[in-house]
Amino acid sequence: MKTRLLSLLISLLVGLAGCGGSSGGNNEPPPPPPPPPPITKAEAFQFLNQSTFGATDAEAQRVINLRYEAWIDDQLQKPASLQLPHIQSLPLPPFMGQLQADRVDIWFRNALHGDDQLRQRVAFALSEIMVVSQIGVLNNRPYSLASYYDMLAENAFGNYRDLIEAVTLHPAMGVYLSMLGNEKPDVENNIRPDENYARELMQLFSIGLVELNQDGSVKLDDRGQPIPTYDQETIEAFAHVYTGWTYAGSPVFREARPTLTNQVIPMQLWPSFHDTGPKTLLNGFVIPAGQMGMQDLADALDNIFNHPNVGPFIAIRLIQRLVTSNPSPGYVSRVAGVFNDNGFGVRGDLGAVVKAILLDDEAQPGVRMDLDGKVKEPLLRLTQLWRVYNATSQSGRYPLNFAYIVFGQGPLQASHVFNFFSPFYAPPGEISDGNLVAPELEISTEYLNTFVTNYMFYQTFALNSTNTQLNEDDVFINFESELALANDVDMLIDSVAGKLLAGQISDTLRNETAGMLALIPDTEAALRVAETIYLIVTSPEYAYQR
Amino acid sequence: MKKINRRDFLRSSSAAAAAATFASTPGLAYSQGIGTAAPFDDYRALVCVFLHGGNDSFNMLVPNTTAEYNVYAASRQNLAVTRQDLLPINPRSQTPGTAPFGLHPSMGGIQTLFEAGNAAFVANLGPLVEPTTKTQYQQKSVLLPSQLFSHNDQQSQWHSLKGAGTSKTGWAGRIADLIRTNVAGQRMATNASLNGTSLFQSAEHTIAYVMGQSGPLQFEGFSDDPDNILYDQKLAFQRIVAAQYSSIYERGFAEIQRRAIDSADTVAAAIASAPVMTTVFPNSQLGRQLETVARLIGSRDQLQMQRQIFFVGIGGFDSHDDQNQNQPGLLAGVSEAMAAFYAATVEIGAADSVTAFTQSDFGRTLTSNGDGTDHAWGGNQLVVGGAVNGQDIYGTYPVLQIGGEDDVGGGRMIPTTSADQYAATLARWFGIPDVDLDIVAPHIDNFVQRDLGFMV
Repeated sequence: MKTRLLSLLISLLVGLAGCGGSSGGNNEPPPPPPPPPPITKAEAFQFLNQSTFGATDAEAQRVINLRYEAWIDDQLQKPASLQLPHIQSLPLPPFMGQLQADRVDIWFRNALHGDDQLRQRVAFALSEIMVVSQIGVLNNRPYSLASYYDMLAENAFGNYRDLIEAVTLHPAMGVYLSMLGNEKPDVENNIRPDENYARELMQLFSIGLVELNQDGSVKLDDRGQPIPTYDQETIEAFAHVYTGWTYAGSPVFREARPTLTNQVIPMQLWPSFHDTGPKTLLNGFVIPAGQMGMQDLADALDNIFNHPNVGPFIAIRLIQRLVTSNPSPGYVSRVAGVFNDNGFGVRGDLGAVVKAILLDDEAQPGVRMDLDGKVKEPLLRLTQLWRVYNATSQSGRYPLNFAYIVFGQGPLQASHVFNFFSPFYAPPGEISDGNLVAPELEISTEYLNTFVTNYMFYQTFALNSTNTQLNEDDVFINFESELALANDVDMLIDSVAGKLLAGQISDTLRNETAGMLALIPDTEAALRVAETIYLIVTSPEYAYQR
Repeated sequence: MKKINRRDFLRSSSAAAAAATFASTPGLAYSQGIGTAAPFDDYRALVCVFLHGGNDSFNMLVPNTTAEYNVYAASRQNLAVTRQDLLPINPRSQTPGTAPFGLHPSMGGIQTLFEAGNAAFVANLGPLVEPTTKTQYQQKSVLLPSQLFSHNDQQSQWHSLKGAGTSKTGWAGRIADLIRTNVAGQRMATNASLNGTSLFQSAEHTIAYVMGQSGPLQFEGFSDDPDNILYDQKLAFQRIVAAQYSSIYERGFAEIQRRAIDSADTVAAAIASAPVMTTVFPNSQLGRQLETVARLIGSRDQLQMQRQIFFVGIGGFDSHDDQNQNQPGLLAGVSEAMAAFYAATVEIGAADSVTAFTQSDFGRTLTSNGDGTDHAWGGNQLVVGGAVNGQDIYGTYPVLQIGGEDDVGGGRMIPTTSADQYAATLARWFGIPDVDLDIVAPHIDNFVQRDLGFMV
């Protein structure tokens, strides 16, 4: 951290001065290190936009008071706000899929109001790495999806080894990547184990396609070529490992049916459908023939967990979701180092990894100038606005089941296992030319950006607390507090920009906003406030997560 | 001060005055890589229909002679299409009346187009660096495309034809770059997508325009009437996104916003004023996308378009599970939408100028995982249009035998024709001279046949 470096420097200087002046060798204790400089509001906002669903003045004050590490430590202790109990409390509709809107609703409630903000933010990041989705075969399984998300939240600060086991055995994943019902080979009928989960667990959730150095750079062989982490035979071996699992308690293995109960608990092994042959896994590790399925699974997940790629792979993925699209090799290496060993000899401690990501120098302001930060995820542009202006609806619900249509993303609403966007996406132009990436820009198409801009237009001008004709599920922002300032252009802009941009508003945005306010009569206080918020939340500077 | 009221803000502005100003594709340095294509005096469009997930196309185009069907059925077991259900087709180059191939029973629309000479198949296509035999594959004695059998990597292969290397551009993007001075008067970018951002259309010098399946969205908060305050709002918004920003992320975002504003009115107005079509499209994602493409093609003169490449696509083809339940609907969807699209191009007088073609991640294993299939390599692709040398199957249909000469294991077919050859054939028809084909299809020189012959 910059502040930490500064205090170290100061203490060194103080120490030197002390030496120079104390040739007599007295035994006075060294002076206490000076307190670090106070955290500014802008710094607190930057930190909170990395670690929550949107910085607010109140939370910024807590960060300023507690300082970063104590704030994180406090958050690491918070239990998970859950989704499934809420879903289970609702009456069953004629079509289970109708509960997806309630699942999205409880996601927003937790994202907006949960006091486990860091846990929820990390769970959201994990849900974009270990993807299951409402779009496709799980459309009628809101119970299973809510349970899957809760599992991510509960494991967000736990151990990665436990996380991948919970992911592997969750029936939502079992259905989504077709491990559920996967059975041992039937050579006579040309049937062999399903390779879907075997492939994606390695490619997308853990090690990736090519060998990495600890700093995330690609290892090259002596001909200068990347080294594949596995080949088709390895995938087939893992596919044999993942045989014999189906819904817990099902009376049959084939054609097992989901129930409200079995779709929210880990899958169960049927030994007679598990392949017991030998299996050669990563780096030549061999599972001997004749093992039980549970032991095969444990050995296989250990094999993946201990691959040296996992540290840098997960470090890059989580840094990209929380802090910056283009971390330096040093940043990746430091975080991967914590993954490899949390300081107490434990590998895979995700809480320590998250802490290392957020406390790193590179997560602080102004380290690498124009490479710092990332494009804010579209859904987070919405949650930040909603948190700042206490958005609610008359029903108290946030049933934005259409989030993925408007914003290009929504909770567990990716169109495939590759998430809403690729971690490698680079738009043409300076980003691609510079060998940089900006994953979120893959869903910032002309079309989707316009959709979001239009949503913000309605959100600010129509879906606000001054509108008396709202439907009960319309989520509206509450900007009553700004109305009193509406006739003072500078105060109004300062107030809104202070809440949404930590006051870091560009001259252009300020001048253009003032220009529009000059066209709107003083009698139209709500319009003046709406205009100010609208121009700010649709601006490139608001879409940028510093 | 302008007279304003709440209604101005709350009413969505219509695409009324689209004739206003048009800003063309953002000016980029046009200094390198300009192709040698002659000026165009006609209109041509390519429409890529991407079947996301990996279409099991050996159930789309099935051998129908007794011997070959039996090999197919033995390999596919519970996933085989029943022979008497196949829709027989009669390729011109084979003995008339023998129907040596059949189509999946859900593809009646394509059967009709094929038999009328307006559709063709290219058999067992896939990414290759150079011609590859099973022995060469096993001995690794030829260069292979990187990361075979992986979804996103093989999609990237089809998009970019990158082979064993890496690529930041797609073959449609490279075509657009090559012809960019020939089509400088176009009012829309050469490349347009109705299915999101794709590497297929990424380029160094030109930028693809991304719209929704029904076209672009209008900005609700803007007006082109100078008396309306939403006109001022539009100008303010434009000045904000045109400002200088210090972060690459802000600049990247702002650039997309600029393009969105520049193109939305023009494109939406063109779609709105397109000639009325009586062709009925299926009410599906692919149907709606292709209907919008047809409307844009109908407005080609208004938009002063000469060359266009459209990207459309649908998902759902990754049939690891429940393949027998899902495949009929998927293939019927392709057949109905592409048949309607062909009919629409006839209706708007552009049938000979428009070629629609499929691409997909990969073919799928001939073997089953119980109720579905896994990722493989070669697969069959479909080409539809008036300029297609239709009613024929191009390339070499593979031997569908497990462990046979074309199988690298589990029924993964080594492609007998490369995606480079497919792209080169389409690019040549599009107007790319032979000398530039290796820019479009980087490995074309490794293959004897630079033109597969399926285009006139």
